[in-house]
Amino acid sequence: MAGKRKLILQTVAGFGVILLAGFAMGAVLGYLEANGQDVMSSTAALWAVGAFATITMLISLWVGLRWMSSIDEAAQEAHKWAWFWGGSSGMAVGGVLVIMASLPQSAMIQIPAWYSDRTDPAAYAATGAFAMLTLMLIGYGVAWAWWWLGRR
Amino acid sequence: MNNRLKVLRAERDWSQAHLATELGVSRQTVNALETGRYDPSLPLAFKIARLFQLPIESIFSDEE
Repeated sequence: MAGKRKLILQTVAGFGVILLAGFAMGAVLGYLEANGQDVMSSTAALWAVGAFATITMLISLWVGLRWMSSIDEAAQEAHKWAWFWGGSSGMAVGGVLVIMASLPQSAMIQIPAWYSDRTDPAAYAATGAFAMLTLMLIGYGVAWAWWWLGRR
Repeated sequence: MNNRLKVLRAERDWSQAHLATELGVSRQTVNALETGRYDPSLPLAFKIARLFQLPIESIFSDEE
């Protein structure tokens, strides 16, 4: 029970650090912008968000590591199984789209610009990455539920 | 793999939740073990054997 409480506290602290880092980044960028520096249209904002995203991912990984070691072996097995089979199945579906997109004929397909009406390569790369992640996570969720339902 | 976990638990009049607490696992895991749909790791099998004060082979068997 004490271990669980410690994990909750560490998780809250970890996400608190993420919030503080986001606030600090916003404050610095806002201060610079208010003082006449056009940071928002420079690469400085991009690097600042990159640094924030790195902190967010590192803390998320750390929280994930702590959480994974706190659950019992069957729960761990369910997640490992789900990540392999569900993630791989989602990736297989995404793989079809990747192969299709690599053909020159796919230039004829109009993909909606859902990233603030952006149609630049980086926005489409992000769209592809999000699509792949979404498919993998859907597969992961289905496989995880499948594992537990089969062991009820 | 078959096991006598459910019988041993019933003999002691323990609930699944109680056994789960004793083993440091979730109730769902105890249920998966009892139905034979999840085989425990060696450390967990030893823990179960110690809890019931029985040899592992008298709790788990690989016979169908």
